[in-house]
Amino acid sequence: MSTVAPTAPEGGGARSVVRGVGEVFITLGLVILLFVVYEVYVTDIFSAAKQREATSALDDRWGTPADPERVERFDGLDEGAGFAKMFIPTFGADYSFTILEGITEKTLEIGPGHYPDTAYPGEPGNFAVAGHRVGKGAPFNDIDLLNSCDAIVVETRYNWFVYRVLPKADEVADWAGTRAADPRCVGVSPLGAPYDKVVGQRIVSPGQGEVVAPVPGLPGAENSVGEQVTLMTLTTCHPRFSDRERLIVHAVMVKQWEKDPNNPGALPPELKETV
Amino acid sequence: MYGWIWRHLPGPFAVRVLTAVLLIAGVVALLMFVVFPWIEPKLPFNEVTTE
Repeated sequence: MSTVAPTAPEGGGARSVVRGVGEVFITLGLVILLFVVYEVYVTDIFSAAKQREATSALDDRWGTPADPERVERFDGLDEGAGFAKMFIPTFGADYSFTILEGITEKTLEIGPGHYPDTAYPGEPGNFAVAGHRVGKGAPFNDIDLLNSCDAIVVETRYNWFVYRVLPKADEVADWAGTRAADPRCVGVSPLGAPYDKVVGQRIVSPGQGEVVAPVPGLPGAENSVGEQVTLMTLTTCHPRFSDRERLIVHAVMVKQWEKDPNNPGALPPELKETV
Repeated sequence: MYGWIWRHLPGPFAVRVLTAVLLIAGVVALLMFVVFPWIEPKLPFNEVTTE
């Protein structure tokens, strides 16, 4: 770094052209590195702010005078409007996300998004939610680590719904002899036909939209299945940093706790399953 | 390119360093707040939904 700047680059014109091209390549490399930083870290910061806003908007709405009959209303939700919160206690007591209506790119930047036309929390059918795995708050970063029977707790205005991850494919055969004894597995067991392909974790191709059907894997079958199972399905990209496939987690509802209007701070015991 | 910019920055050494840092910060901000958010949805590696 001399203060006496040369008036022209050393060497001939060819040398300065080569140097210029090299500098452009180095710059492009730095820009791509910066993009990775943006994608993995900076979008988290942007999304965290949006998620906080969505959560406080939802809290405001829940703070308005309650419907005397305490009936959940999910009709007429706008794209991007929050309507429920999800907790996965095994990911820590602070794992909490507001679930929004819709799965557009813009909505998923704010938090997990509900597939329109799928069931809502607690309803028979398939409550399907998509979430990012890398960046943008990465709500579903670790859902590949969910074990069978892990709780996914969904809070709505008047209820807590407890879903538990279904048996994984390799656990189905000997469920009764192995995991069924776990106290957390009460209410969880392999689902019979037509749900026999619905297991705790699956990897599918992006085109397999039937995983969010009311009877996953069998779109249209809901009309012939009498009473539908109350399922929850999480979808995210797989493998991490790629969108070649989709990671699917299916869970089944095992419990519903109605919120007590006289004791609004009461929490369901499942939220304490943080180990 | 960088040499050319450096030679054309005015003022003494300290001022040049400050200007260079500001220029870099400006470019980074432009990338982070304008270019990356614009280009990102066009890149197919963070799709999480099934169709």
